[in-house]
Amino acid sequence: MRGFHVYILLATAALALVFADRLSSYWMHVAIIAMFYGILASSWSLLAGYVGLFSLGHMAFASIGGYASGLLVQWYGIPIPLGMAAGVALCCALGGLIGWVCLRMSGPYLAIFTLGFAEIVRIILATEDDITSGMAGLHVQRLFDTPSRLPYFYTAFALLAVSLLLLGGMVRSRWGLFLRAIREDEQAASASGVAVARFRILAFAIASGFAGLAGGFYGHYIGILTPSLGGLDLMALLVVMTVIGGMERLPTAVGGAFVVEFLLEVLRGYGQWRLPLFGIVLLLTMRFARNGLLTPLWLKFVQLGEPQAAAAIAARDVPQKDPAQ
Amino acid sequence: MSWDYLFVQVANGAVIGIIYALIAVGVTLIFSILKIVNFAHGDLYMLGGYCAYYIITLLGIPPLAAMFLSMAAIFVLAIILERLLLTPLYDDATERKDEYGLIVTFGLAFFLRNAAVMAFGPYPLKPPSFIPGVQQLGGLTVTNDRLFAGGVGIVLILALLYFMHRTIWGQALDAVSQSRESAAIVGINAQRFNSFAFGIGAALAAAAGALIAPIFSLAPDMGVLPNIHAFVIVILGGMGSVLGSILAGLLLGEAENLFTAFFPDPTRALAYTNAFGLLVLMIVLVLRPQGFFGRRHLRME
Repeated sequence: MRGFHVYILLATAALALVFADRLSSYWMHVAIIAMFYGILASSWSLLAGYVGLFSLGHMAFASIGGYASGLLVQWYGIPIPLGMAAGVALCCALGGLIGWVCLRMSGPYLAIFTLGFAEIVRIILATEDDITSGMAGLHVQRLFDTPSRLPYFYTAFALLAVSLLLLGGMVRSRWGLFLRAIREDEQAASASGVAVARFRILAFAIASGFAGLAGGFYGHYIGILTPSLGGLDLMALLVVMTVIGGMERLPTAVGGAFVVEFLLEVLRGYGQWRLPLFGIVLLLTMRFARNGLLTPLWLKFVQLGEPQAAAAIAARDVPQKDPAQ
Repeated sequence: MSWDYLFVQVANGAVIGIIYALIAVGVTLIFSILKIVNFAHGDLYMLGGYCAYYIITLLGIPPLAAMFLSMAAIFVLAIILERLLLTPLYDDATERKDEYGLIVTFGLAFFLRNAAVMAFGPYPLKPPSFIPGVQQLGGLTVTNDRLFAGGVGIVLILALLYFMHRTIWGQALDAVSQSRESAAIVGINAQRFNSFAFGIGAALAAAAGALIAPIFSLAPDMGVLPNIHAFVIVILGGMGSVLGSILAGLLLGEAENLFTAFFPDPTRALAYTNAFGLLVLMIVLVLRPQGFFGRRHLRME
């Protein structure tokens, strides 16, 4: 049966939705935050994994989306969804602008540029405290007027699902092929007729838009925003999640976000030792299993319903070059 | 604003500039040999500072000797890290080496910074002064530690320049940076120089950390900003250019201190000083990515 894994995923999703109210408030919060990271990880994977644009400004865009929405709602009293949409639009525009400005930059230069951008955003948010309340944190109106976390769970779920559908549709179309061609060799892609500039800008704009969406939701869920949302620490955590899961596929990136967020909570007893531990896991992943720890599992999972599973996996899992060739 | 204040700012700017240059020279050296941008450089600088601190306080060794011991320790540590993590960079089977180097050094930075929080505690530590006291020159007051840091920094940079230009090892290093294959043809073991360059770069960062510790304090996240500053300098000076890094380091140190001095709103001056450096970085990256002293064969686009 082909597409067996899709049915399993749908069934799991349906079960999660039906039994969500049985979760304790604490674990529901963990699940919501995991889904918030899931949106960020999948959109960052589009940028870093598919196009090869290793941007360190992704959390800065989440921060911009959150602050923009929070401030607009506070100043003009517009409905929250409209504020979030405005945040997303702003992030798309800014992301496209950044993508355009660094068209000529590759690898490390782009990373340094976006790191600079992210730090400037953080510094401005922290320093202009008469607007943003600085380090004390900006109070943001919450999305629902209820202490229950269930509506937030459903909202996060819907946002993640929509993000994955849109991003997934994009990477499975011809566009996805173009994006990966740019990652492998920009000049060869350009020579083959891929509009490199247009797709680099597009990828930046779209990924930043989703980051803004996640940030907007986060602000209206937590109710308070601090500049550290866009800081280097959370950006590093996002890299850890995405790379450990597997940055070259959307499902593995999201899986990485879920697994790391879950483990961070389970291992809470170890206090701050969790972070260096995940640092080591990241380094080991890069060194020995660069495609991500979840990628082999995912490939097996995708092949579940198919008869010649083993052979198909061997044929599809190409990324490692054979030295004999 | 008095002239004295301005002179103090200029003197402080020069010292900070030299320290920045010391860090940036390592980034440039590592880039020119290994072809990676080391995102963990600021954290090696942090480790160098802590290492010197513990050598001074636990073993009772005088600060200057402790600095050299710390350099040696970080040199060894860096070579171990390079052997463990960066060897895939030299393997032809590895795809997209830029990406690999980037994520690995970024991950290493994350690991070192958070491990330091656990190992050394989150609170700032202050090691004893190299030479206590201050110097009065007319209306100028500069602490001895700053003068000492600037002086030792200059000596270390001169030593590096001498090493790079006047010794056979330095020449070999330069040869590897220009062409790995040609260097191998004349009998240079390029593999060995990968480790060597990484170690030297890290040792210079460690020296900077040990020198800055009595002036500011030691904290696990002290490497983040200097790391970014090193990038600013390296981009300004041109990737791979040691001399460019030194000039750009001094330039940035001065520009930032004068920016702080003249920024109209004093409560925000310090915060925006860092943003100012970053803005310079972004503008240079857009307008002149090869920097102002960049060497053509080392450009990476």
